[in-house]
Amino acid sequence: MGGVELLQFALAGLKNGAIYALVALGFTIVYASTGVINFAQGEFYMLGGMLSVWAYADLGLPLPLAAVVGVMTTAVVGAVFELLAIRPRKDGNPLALIIITVGGSMVLSSSARHLFGPLERALPSFSGTGTVSILGAALEIQSIWILGLTALAVASLWYLYNRTSLGRAMRACAVDRNAARLVGIDTRRVVTVSFLLAAALGALAGLAVTPLTQTAFNVGPSVGIKGFAAAILGGLGNPIAAVAGGLVLGMLESMSIAFISSTYKDAIALIVLLSVLFWRPQGLFGRSGREKV
Amino acid sequence: MRERIDMRLVVAAVLGLTVVAAVAGLPFFTSERYILRVFTFAGVNVIIITGMALLFGYAGQVSLGHAAFFGVGAYASAFVVTQLGWPWIGGVIVAIVLTATGGLLLALPSLRLKGHYLAMATLAFGEIMRVVFTEARTVTGGPDGLSGIPYPSLGPLAFDSASASYWLVWAVAGITLLLAANLVRSRAGRAMRALHGSELGATACGIDITGIKVRVFVISASFAGLAGALYAHVVGFISPSTFSLHVSVLLVAMAVLGGTSSLLGPVIAAVLLTLIPFSDAVIPGLSRSALETIQEWQEDIYGLTIIAVMIFMPGGIGGLLRRIGTGRSAER
Repeated sequence: MGGVELLQFALAGLKNGAIYALVALGFTIVYASTGVINFAQGEFYMLGGMLSVWAYADLGLPLPLAAVVGVMTTAVVGAVFELLAIRPRKDGNPLALIIITVGGSMVLSSSARHLFGPLERALPSFSGTGTVSILGAALEIQSIWILGLTALAVASLWYLYNRTSLGRAMRACAVDRNAARLVGIDTRRVVTVSFLLAAALGALAGLAVTPLTQTAFNVGPSVGIKGFAAAILGGLGNPIAAVAGGLVLGMLESMSIAFISSTYKDAIALIVLLSVLFWRPQGLFGRSGREKV
Repeated sequence: MRERIDMRLVVAAVLGLTVVAAVAGLPFFTSERYILRVFTFAGVNVIIITGMALLFGYAGQVSLGHAAFFGVGAYASAFVVTQLGWPWIGGVIVAIVLTATGGLLLALPSLRLKGHYLAMATLAFGEIMRVVFTEARTVTGGPDGLSGIPYPSLGPLAFDSASASYWLVWAVAGITLLLAANLVRSRAGRAMRALHGSELGATACGIDITGIKVRVFVISASFAGLAGALYAHVVGFISPSTFSLHVSVLLVAMAVLGGTSSLLGPVIAAVLLTLIPFSDAVIPGLSRSALETIQEWQEDIYGLTIIAVMIFMPGGIGGLLRRIGTGRSAER
């Protein structure tokens, strides 16, 4: 295999990895504040694409405005889901909450089908359909958008976590929820904000990818599983690790297509997920020992 | 006091016998294939749910991959019967052995860890098997599936009519329920209830909680495999969509609605939720459009059921039955 071809696969891996990173960030943020795996995370990805298409094609809004409407509406859906379905279960039993998010996932995808129909829907590229050449390999302009938006999201998240009092409250909750409550942090608000942020990040990924792959009401679960595999691969609860896990997973998938075959490409993420669960449940970048063993 | 207990036993015995008679007698009341078919599906789901009830309601674990065990059982049995010419009972044994082994390999590493790693591992397992069912064409027939799978038969006895398959499935369901009821009343069953109450407390009493959870998971996986070996031959056709994540989630909905520490509750839930898309089988004169509306909204019904049960009645139908049975709030 030539160097250009390899670079081509690497670029594709980077693009997919950025998407997985955004979805993984959503998993990790909710996990940090609640200890719960949010099975509805993939549905936020689906809603981001579907709502943007709806705002653009059905409401006739200009594309940038439609994108903002899509992401913000999904964020609100995430917060409302937390208020209506997660918060009422007062004991916070993780198994119960996980099961609730499984139910939520069904309701969200089914609602999208009722509202927007069962067909695949598309969005135009953000700025032209051309490609740029990098050392001979072609990269779609939309992929540059994906990478840029992911970088922007990670930077904003870094700012939120390190420079704002809300971010510090979220970090405190991730370390110890009861201690956070004792020092006067409104932990319930932190949980709602976590779902809002997770939904927005998932929606951003779904929005950015729709011009390349189209979207439909049922795309959520498969992307959700890959994002979850990325989050586990990095180490659940740590945002930087989630991004790293996403990029590593994207690369692994791409390289497996390059060197093995594309038949089982969807199984790579799952095999990674199982392997990490079995041999290194704290993830590649997580510290071992804490509360898990 | 004594008298009250005796009365309850009598009521329970009469109710139980009536239900068994009604289940066994259904083919005498209706000869309509469609109705028998629907209730045969319900019986298959009852077999899977009996295992899920042990896992969720007693051992406090949830599996998001049981449809995959169901599928492994179905494909394994169909393969050895149609390709290798084995008798059906051989297919059943292969299905059970394969799913029990798979369950063991999956449960051992994931149950050593605290938390809900089993849910994640089963989810990944289910999705991997979906890829395998679709791609391993020589064994599974790919996306088109396998057809022409022969009816179940035991020696000269062939279950080749709608009522015969109905009886076979429900007889097997009855046996799995009896096995599960025995298990629940045994020492292992008491240990399971103890660990549902408090894992720490159970460990302190010398209960090997990991060992018990692993065993329960293996049992539930093999029940799903057994159900698969019945389903493939009763229906005669299998394809990957029958064993998707969607079906796993539906099974979780049945287990959750059925409730904790109960076998009867999950059985009722399995039958109820199986009937939803086939409401016309139980409601005579249901209009075509009403049925279509129900089918259109069934996902929402399942999803909202899961959420509502977890928030408003975490004990599910089982908890409800206990409350009626004891006349006071059901506490352990």
